Amino acid sequence: MTQVTRNENHTPTAFHANIIAMDKDLLDIEDVADDYVHCTQCGACEIRCPNTLFVGDFYQARTETVKVVRAARALMVDKGLDRDGWKLWNRLTKDLKNEPVLGTGNGQPNGQDHVRDWAEGLQIPIGGELIMFVDCEAAFYRTSNTRATAQVLQKAGVEFGLMNEQWCCGGPAAEMGYVEQSRAFAEHNLADWRASGVKRVIAIEPHDYIHFTEDYPAYFGVDFDIEVVQIIELVAELIKNGRLKLERPINKTVTYHDPCRLNKRKGIHEAPRFILNSIPGLIFKDVDHVTQWSYCSGGGGGLPIEKPEITEAISDVRVARAKELDVDMLVSACVWSERPLATAGHKAGIEVADIIELVAESAGIEVGGRRGASDLEAAR
Amino acid sequence: MTTAPVMTVDAAVVAELEAIMNEPGSVLTGVSSRANRARVPAPFPLHRWAEHMPAVVVLPRTAEQVSEIIKLANRVKIPVVPRAGGTGLNDGAVPLRGGIMIDVKRMNQIHEIDLADRTVTVGPGINMLKLNEELKKYGVFYPDTPASYPCSLVGGRIACSGWSLLGSRFGHTRDLVVSFEIVLPTGEIIRVGDGGGKKVRKSSTGYHLKQLFMGHQGTLGIVTEATLELVPRPEAEFAAFFAFDDFGNAHRTVYGIVTSGIATLAGTVLFDEKKIEYLRRDDEAFIPMPPWVNSIVATALYGTKPEVREASKLLMDLGRKEGGRYTGDEMAVGDWASRHDRYANPLHGRLKDGTVAPMSWHCEDASLNWTVIPKVREEWTAIADRYIDKYGIFDNWGIYCYTNAAYKPWGDYLAEIDIGIWEEKLDDESWAGWVDFKSEIAKVSLKYGGSITACHGSTRAGDAELVPEEMGGGWDVMLKIKRTLDPNNIMNPGKQMLDQAYES
Repeated sequence: MTQVTRNENHTPTAFHANIIAMDKDLLDIEDVADDYVHCTQCGACEIRCPNTLFVGDFYQARTETVKVVRAARALMVDKGLDRDGWKLWNRLTKDLKNEPVLGTGNGQPNGQDHVRDWAEGLQIPIGGELIMFVDCEAAFYRTSNTRATAQVLQKAGVEFGLMNEQWCCGGPAAEMGYVEQSRAFAEHNLADWRASGVKRVIAIEPHDYIHFTEDYPAYFGVDFDIEVVQIIELVAELIKNGRLKLERPINKTVTYHDPCRLNKRKGIHEAPRFILNSIPGLIFKDVDHVTQWSYCSGGGGGLPIEKPEITEAISDVRVARAKELDVDMLVSACVWSERPLATAGHKAGIEVADIIELVAESAGIEVGGRRGASDLEAAR
Repeated sequence: MTTAPVMTVDAAVVAELEAIMNEPGSVLTGVSSRANRARVPAPFPLHRWAEHMPAVVVLPRTAEQVSEIIKLANRVKIPVVPRAGGTGLNDGAVPLRGGIMIDVKRMNQIHEIDLADRTVTVGPGINMLKLNEELKKYGVFYPDTPASYPCSLVGGRIACSGWSLLGSRFGHTRDLVVSFEIVLPTGEIIRVGDGGGKKVRKSSTGYHLKQLFMGHQGTLGIVTEATLELVPRPEAEFAAFFAFDDFGNAHRTVYGIVTSGIATLAGTVLFDEKKIEYLRRDDEAFIPMPPWVNSIVATALYGTKPEVREASKLLMDLGRKEGGRYTGDEMAVGDWASRHDRYANPLHGRLKDGTVAPMSWHCEDASLNWTVIPKVREEWTAIADRYIDKYGIFDNWGIYCYTNAAYKPWGDYLAEIDIGIWEEKLDDESWAGWVDFKSEIAKVSLKYGGSITACHGSTRAGDAELVPEEMGGGWDVMLKIKRTLDPNNIMNPGKQMLDQAYES
């Protein structure tokens, strides 16, 4: 964030100092409401802040700036200071039960009637012990990602179903400060899983993974007995034990974007590299995961809803770094990053793909579905 | 003549600033923008926060804008405070009399990389880690690496005359900045170097103005561009840590290493007993040491492979000569690699009874000769004990001594005592206690022929009153320079007792 805005109001130091300043009656939440919008909750400042002397906590033992930002946003909601864009987004999400990712205007195929449109022709059952939880962006916007994931699992012989009544995970609401709404969605989802005998949930998207492994246990305590499986780790395992064979070469030169929530917040950076190194024909120019602590797409934390110009600037910077490596493609593992990155990629002439889409291609699967902004670049 | 320019910035001044800047979002008057530029990581009197707020913040992009702002400030006699990263461990970037804050973070461009004459020219708002990410592809680097390497900015490094962890091999900020452009307190834009040439390292023409404006703490102008040294990226790095059961042996080992003639030695770091105790107690990342360890000597070599290979054998002998034990590859590689991330800010300390309390870190630095380190260590520790007993808000996090001379590892050391402070407990009485604490520490440094600060600056109460004593006859020269260059005392007023320049 601060790499782009160069404004000290948007540093983790300020986010923490504001709390003390409010305690000392120097500031009011109204004074800093706009500042707290300037955060993607990427977690970089929790491991090594790139902007201030604030902290160097790469063991992630004690710094919780993301929680501070979320608490400040919750306070904004309480005081009626939430931003207009977030207000609308969360009202529509509450009505639709899914995020309005195709636009907040009328007439978009959003909501419960369309939540399984992406799965057309794939014959995935409903319910079962293991389900694939489909993120809203993946269900409605970049459906190629979702179709690739389902088909890769089918090809590897993984038996899984879809959720009975698939609502939003509630995570975006939590990130924007709508705590009650987040909790209501979580309660619905957990009840739905229990009703259909679900024991394990595959999170195909890093934001969902954070919510299921951090927020849900916080909401439900020891009662939360669902095992959460991260898709990248699962696919890497399927390749390792031979259940998934990647035999079709992909003759491209790629680099990998470490999604913030996987790398910085969850320490998952080896599995995606293993996967990319397992794809025949692929030339993989890696940038190590520590260097990528200061990389981001700008797609998280509700930023694109309120400050799309900053999301765009952050993605432009990320894509420019990929461009310097002289690669054909930037590969991510987070569908929320793929829209802004692909939009920036289109400007810069570099394709953006999801890692599971590449896995599917190398496994000989015809994926189908839409690739959102990436279709623009591929069509060029 | 006034020593305290007016603090008020009225709507007309803001309008003029907006006209100079001509960019939305570059003149900030909101309370959050001002409150968040009132402090730096140095201990801050939270109970008097509002007194340190600037009246308005400006985010310029060009030297011309900086010049126009300063001319305006001179005309209406409003203080100007420059701010780069705001990561300093003294008060350079903290306004003492409100006024206009010029925050240079948007001046972060790389203007020119000259591989032929080995310089890079940048804006003052760029950070060294970011700069080196760019330089890496050319096989060169800018070796100014303080603990704040990931976050401090070039402008602040010049204003504080920064110290680098690799300084004994590659030089410190004042050696690595070849020349720079500075806007004077009256608005003129000049370039200063050793002589006049932008990329010339050694000259005999005129006064050496570069050094005059190096470490001025924002009291003599604002740096708007700097031409920096480019150094070949070292082919090899070798780090080694040696553990001791006796501080005297560790201290002598440092001497043996720095006087050995190893040219690739980038520096040594000496950890004292309190430091080891603190790391064991409260730093979960510290690699466990056997109980007999009470001091450590850390070293690192940089150079070509053949140079480092041979020197490393000699270093391993020297490190063990006085009873030191090599602590193993894990610490050598891991601890050295994480030198910019470690020991930075543990966020908590202990009260005397062992209770954990939220504390912020303060590093009180000095320049000391090798011979006096053991005595100073004893006296500093005794002072710390007294203040810990008396106020119940301090914790002693121990001492580090780093090699301090440029291009040579011997002679003097940046010695620092790290103090944890429970800042939220500060009130007028305990703040005054902290100022006395600092002052006592600084007086010990002077008593032993040292300097009260190696790299942070001496801008704050506790240090500032001692600057005339340390400078001796040079203090009057400083006052004359200050008054001549800044006739209206608008540049960062109130720092370092420089108000004396205006007492007629």
